[in-house]
Amino acid sequence: MASGSPHRALRAGRGGTVFRRALSEHRLVLGGWFAGLGLYCAAMLAVFPTIHGNRAFAKLVESYPDAFRSMFAVADFTTGPGYLRGEIFSLMGPILVVLLALLWGSDLTAGEEERHTIDLLLANPVSRRRVVGEKWAAMAVGVTAVTSVFAIVPLAGNPIVHLGVGVARLLGVVVATAFTALLFGTLALAVAAATGRRGLARGVAAALAVASYLVSSLADLVSFLRPVRPLSPWYQAIGVDPLTHGFSWRLLIVVGLTAVLVAVSLATFERRDLAVS
Amino acid sequence: MSPVGTALAGQREARARFTPGAPGAPVIALRNVTKHYRSGGGIDDVTLEVHPGEVFGFLGPNGAGKTTTIRLLVDLIRPDRGELSIFGLDPRRDGIAVRRRIGYLPGDLVLYEKMTAGELLLHFARLRGGPGSPEIEALAEQFALDLRTPIAALSKGNKQKVGFLQAVMGTPELLVLDEPTTGLDPLVQHQAHELLRAVAGSGRTVFLSSHFLSEVQQVADRVAMIKAGRVVAVESVAGLRSRSVHLVDVRTVERLEPEAFSRLPGVGALQATDFSAHFEFAGPLDPLVRELSRLALADLSIREPDLEDVFLSYYDGHDDTAAPSPALGRAGSDGER
Ligand SMILES: Nc1ncnc2c1ncn2[C@@H]1O[C@H](COP(=O)(O)OP(=O)(O)OP(=O)(O)O)[C@@H](O)[C@H]1O
Ligand SMILES: [Mg+2]
Repeated sequence: MASGSPHRALRAGRGGTVFRRALSEHRLVLGGWFAGLGLYCAAMLAVFPTIHGNRAFAKLVESYPDAFRSMFAVADFTTGPGYLRGEIFSLMGPILVVLLALLWGSDLTAGEEERHTIDLLLANPVSRRRVVGEKWAAMAVGVTAVTSVFAIVPLAGNPIVHLGVGVARLLGVVVATAFTALLFGTLALAVAAATGRRGLARGVAAALAVASYLVSSLADLVSFLRPVRPLSPWYQAIGVDPLTHGFSWRLLIVVGLTAVLVAVSLATFERRDLAVS
Repeated sequence: MSPVGTALAGQREARARFTPGAPGAPVIALRNVTKHYRSGGGIDDVTLEVHPGEVFGFLGPNGAGKTTTIRLLVDLIRPDRGELSIFGLDPRRDGIAVRRRIGYLPGDLVLYEKMTAGELLLHFARLRGGPGSPEIEALAEQFALDLRTPIAALSKGNKQKVGFLQAVMGTPELLVLDEPTTGLDPLVQHQAHELLRAVAGSGRTVFLSSHFLSEVQQVADRVAMIKAGRVVAVESVAGLRSRSVHLVDVRTVERLEPEAFSRLPGVGALQATDFSAHFEFAGPLDPLVRELSRLALADLSIREPDLEDVFLSYYDGHDDTAAPSPALGRAGSDGER
């Protein structure tokens, strides 16, 4: 449109409006997740001094079956990094933030379609791409903010319980966890954007998350899983423990996959008839 | 008259700002637009033109295809076949440019429940790059809407008001309104109609759907009737009115003479007793009222036929040139297909 047109009052809307609303709409939910996971971390840290350097406990753990130990990443519970890995970063932490992300991703477009609020949103002079893009960015910020509690609480408690974990390594594992969650959240978004069905999106993303977790954690024991292990995002992001081994470029595979899924979501959502059955 | 007066003045001022592209070029043009849902239903070969400065009514029973047509205009769904243009542009390829000039009210209106009315209106205003809070506050005051109330706490009618104001704010050139007055009380309905007339008066265009012939007759210049996915008639309201039939019931205090009615042109299906008469009446009501004023009336009712009857009387007008009265006789049998 010519810029001198009389319709200047109705020019393109302000950027970031959808992004800001998506975050503010979720602020209570995010606060709840942050507080809940923070309490979980604090409780875990409070127990650590009783296990730290406890030989008897180390022996007990060694007597567990191998399958159990690799599935739940119980290794060297008696050191700070081993404890954090076993109690937070191998399973509980990622599972919970993956859950948050896939609930969010599945709701991002399909929620508004199912609630029938999508008409009012998309009848504005905004492209579907921009709406999905801004909402995705809000999800990325929200999920990362919640995951950051896994660095904030241990760092705050470190002077008291002496975990002996470096800041960089802690941040590394938190970033890896957040990106894993974002990958599954984006997978849920991709299914939801293509089908408009929230339940289906959740089911598909959850099934793939669980399956790829099992592939990653059991491949040490089950030899026929080893060739497919590189396909598991869990393995690429946190399978080789970033807390002990530091940042790995393999995380970029997860980032790349996420980018592909974002592109797919934008493209399929662009083409669909919305809120129809 | 002050609140409505100011609202109308605001909408009228917009006149100078809107200059439709080519003179006489339609604002909305659909040619043979077909859309079927996977689950069945949809519209077939819909062809329509809406011109600048007119209020265009889209009339049809439940499931006729009104919402389907309207959601095609704002690019929420895409046609299987046919051509759509708005302001001469493609609603899909030039979607943003088109929607920048449209105010839309969905038929299936659901608002963000957790926002207040004011937050919601401002949110959508920001998405469009205007208008600001002063205009929103003025509109809300004219329609007696409390902007501080959370949407979840609003009554159905007040939610509809929010949706309506959302569509008209920022004086868009084209209003696309899907059953805009459902749930509004008669007073607010009247206010809304006045606003729509003012919109058209300022050279802007209104496309609205409705179930009610009476509503469309009040506000629209032209009407399209859609039935089972097909447009069966496009008419000026004046033309429709001359074709429509009224059902008249008269009871008198004194004995009446049936000839008083039977000789009136436009009367059909007359049934009379000594003190009552029941008949159909076609055409302008003036001669009938003059005749009635001669009688000592005990009771009088003049009803509009329902939509189905209007459809049938329309078909009748085309099948043959007979007076429209027999249409009602057939309504019973044909209406049950
Ligand atoms: N979102 C949808 N998904 C699937 N089918 C639909 C959808 N919307 C409408 N239909 C079908 O298309 C047909 C036309 O429906 P539409 O909603 O356009 O009618 P309408 O004239 O708006 O009716 P109403 O007066 O009840 O609002 C119906 O048969 C309906 O079942
Ligand atoms: Mg409808």
